[in-house]
Amino acid sequence: MKKTLSLVVTVSMFLVILLSVSAIAQEEIVLWDITTEAESELPVIQDAIARFEADNPEYTIRHVPTSNDDYKTKLQVAMGANNEPDIFMSWGGGPLKEYVDAGKVMDMTEALKQDDWIERFVPAGLEIARFDENYYAVPITGMRAVLMFYRTDIFEEVGVEIPETYEDFKDVIVQLKDAGYIPLSLANKNRWTGSMYYMYLVDRIGGKEAFLNAANRNGGSFASEAFVRAGEVIQELVDLGAFPPGVNGLDEDQGQSRQLLYADRAAMYLMGDWAYGLIKNENPAMLENFSFFRFPVFEDGKGDPSNLVGSPGGNMYSVAKSSEHKEAAIEFLKYLSDETAAKQLVDLGNLAPFRGVEEYLDDPFMIDIYNALNNANYVQLYYDQYLPPQIAQAHLDTIQGLFGKTMTPEEAAQMVEEEAQKYFNEQ
Amino acid sequence: MQKVSKLTIFIFLLPALLIFSLYMVAPIPLSAFYSFFRWKGFGERVFVGLNNWIELIGDGIFHKALFNNFKLVFLSLFGQLPIALGLAILLAKKTKTTDILKTIYFVPLLMSSVAVATLWSNIYDPNFGLLNMFLQTIGFENLFIDYLGNPKLALYSVIVAINWRYIPFYMILFLAAIKNIPDELYEASRVDGASKWENFRYITLPLLRPTIINASVLSLVGSLKFFDIVYVLTGGGPNNASELMATYMYKNAFNSLRMGYGSTIALALFIIAFTFSIIFMKVTKKGAK
Repeated sequence: MKKTLSLVVTVSMFLVILLSVSAIAQEEIVLWDITTEAESELPVIQDAIARFEADNPEYTIRHVPTSNDDYKTKLQVAMGANNEPDIFMSWGGGPLKEYVDAGKVMDMTEALKQDDWIERFVPAGLEIARFDENYYAVPITGMRAVLMFYRTDIFEEVGVEIPETYEDFKDVIVQLKDAGYIPLSLANKNRWTGSMYYMYLVDRIGGKEAFLNAANRNGGSFASEAFVRAGEVIQELVDLGAFPPGVNGLDEDQGQSRQLLYADRAAMYLMGDWAYGLIKNENPAMLENFSFFRFPVFEDGKGDPSNLVGSPGGNMYSVAKSSEHKEAAIEFLKYLSDETAAKQLVDLGNLAPFRGVEEYLDDPFMIDIYNALNNANYVQLYYDQYLPPQIAQAHLDTIQGLFGKTMTPEEAAQMVEEEAQKYFNEQ
Repeated sequence: MQKVSKLTIFIFLLPALLIFSLYMVAPIPLSAFYSFFRWKGFGERVFVGLNNWIELIGDGIFHKALFNNFKLVFLSLFGQLPIALGLAILLAKKTKTTDILKTIYFVPLLMSSVAVATLWSNIYDPNFGLLNMFLQTIGFENLFIDYLGNPKLALYSVIVAINWRYIPFYMILFLAAIKNIPDELYEASRVDGASKWENFRYITLPLLRPTIINASVLSLVGSLKFFDIVYVLTGGGPNNASELMATYMYKNAFNSLRMGYGSTIALALFIIAFTFSIIFMKVTKKGAK
């Protein structure tokens, strides 16, 4: 008797839990992204959720943030298990395309055309999530530009000017070196950091077409001259002693590159504009000693000097094709991209990829970055964001080989090309 | 003692059994299955027969990773275990100092692997790190060692960190085993006039044999499937110089979206670890008879 009773109690408890879970799930929109406590954008997301829920009481949004690197794995596993959330974040480009090809992502073109929602976004930002003629995500956070940061006081002390061309750049490097400074700070354990040099060099030497033709298989090749020369230039800089000793072991995530700048050991630092925010946080007293210039041009190069490496949109939000709340999800994304959100993002130092965002800018540094982006004829999206992951990994794998001189420029270029051929043959 | 029914035993084992089967046993045949496909981890699975296995056999990076794993096994078995045993013997004597030292030596094991890796990455930092700073202070002013960035050195630097973390674990294991050796044996040998070395050689070591074998198997398997500290310290770099099978598996499955090939590596890793532990246990068992 006692046994039966406890069994009944246990079973009914289970049922209650099951029922209550499914009852909640009926009106819940699940949102996955990377805005953990560590991300400054979190309050913007939370505020948009609160405003949406207040206007649409029939829905609740369950926000599940996961830290950057874990997030990619988590999303991938969820996609594989057909367990994706209603709304998920990505960085557009190659990785998003993989999900689109697998039939996982809602086509947002119709929704964007309705009420001219599409006009809200900077076109280049949407472009990262356009495949064929359809859009699969909207950009919410930062336009990003990779810039050459430098210590103005060290430049003054050594007596060098901002270099315009690669020849000038080498001069500056030699003079800084002679004065006892590490010319270029770089932490290349992470590989995407060194990749920034490579991307700029390919663009400056071969123009944007060099990469686009190779990546889109329009008769280009990752083993073409621009890529090989980019590798040669990197090794020339290595030979000049431009980079910190032990460069391949330094960790960007731990700020080992910036420590060299703060300790008056290094003078320049090629990094995304977020470095401004980092310096402001880590070493506010030194902020006034930092400025930036654009990557130098090659006199015989094909690249437009206004071209930037960067991203016209940071965090991109998509709706899953499997979602049962597509309309509500789209509605929420409208809250996330409205004027209120735009203003909040700009206040955080984030150049939201919405039209008219310049009206809110007041920090001169951000205005400079905004102008650089606005005047750029082309923004080269990071290779590892543009390319399918398999090729992107091959590219990143060659970067340490180039900086450590364990690979020749030809070998490195060839390795990426081979991986690209393998990938595209399998499609 | 009351007789326990088989059903009760079964019910009590069930939760652990379920979790074990779901997360430990089931993935093994599943990985074997995936290894015959080209698959991104989601979407369409394309059957490719033995292609992944053929690629694995010819994959230079996998060979390198496998070789690195064996270096790690060797340096763990002949580095970690002897040091742990030595420390255990020194700490077996009960004095005030040994109690404090025991606690201190145990600390590395209490920290999470990621914290240990971050700590060592600061120690190894070539410009501001503890180690280079120390070397410079004691007179090697021009000495500059690039612990993690030099491809010839990176793996060994990582192995030092790994050993530092795991020595306390084996130390505790050995210490417990030494405490279990009855004092009468040592008393008897003292009566017979045995030296300290003879005590160790003819009493301590033989009685520790089962523990040493267990520790060796743990260390062997642990080294073959090692992942976390390497992943955080070097990410397998520079240029695959410190790549291990597990980090290479992760890179393929999750960074390159090659779940099929990643599964192939995972299964190969399983087969290798399984075979070596079986051989090891067979050999040591034979020795016992």
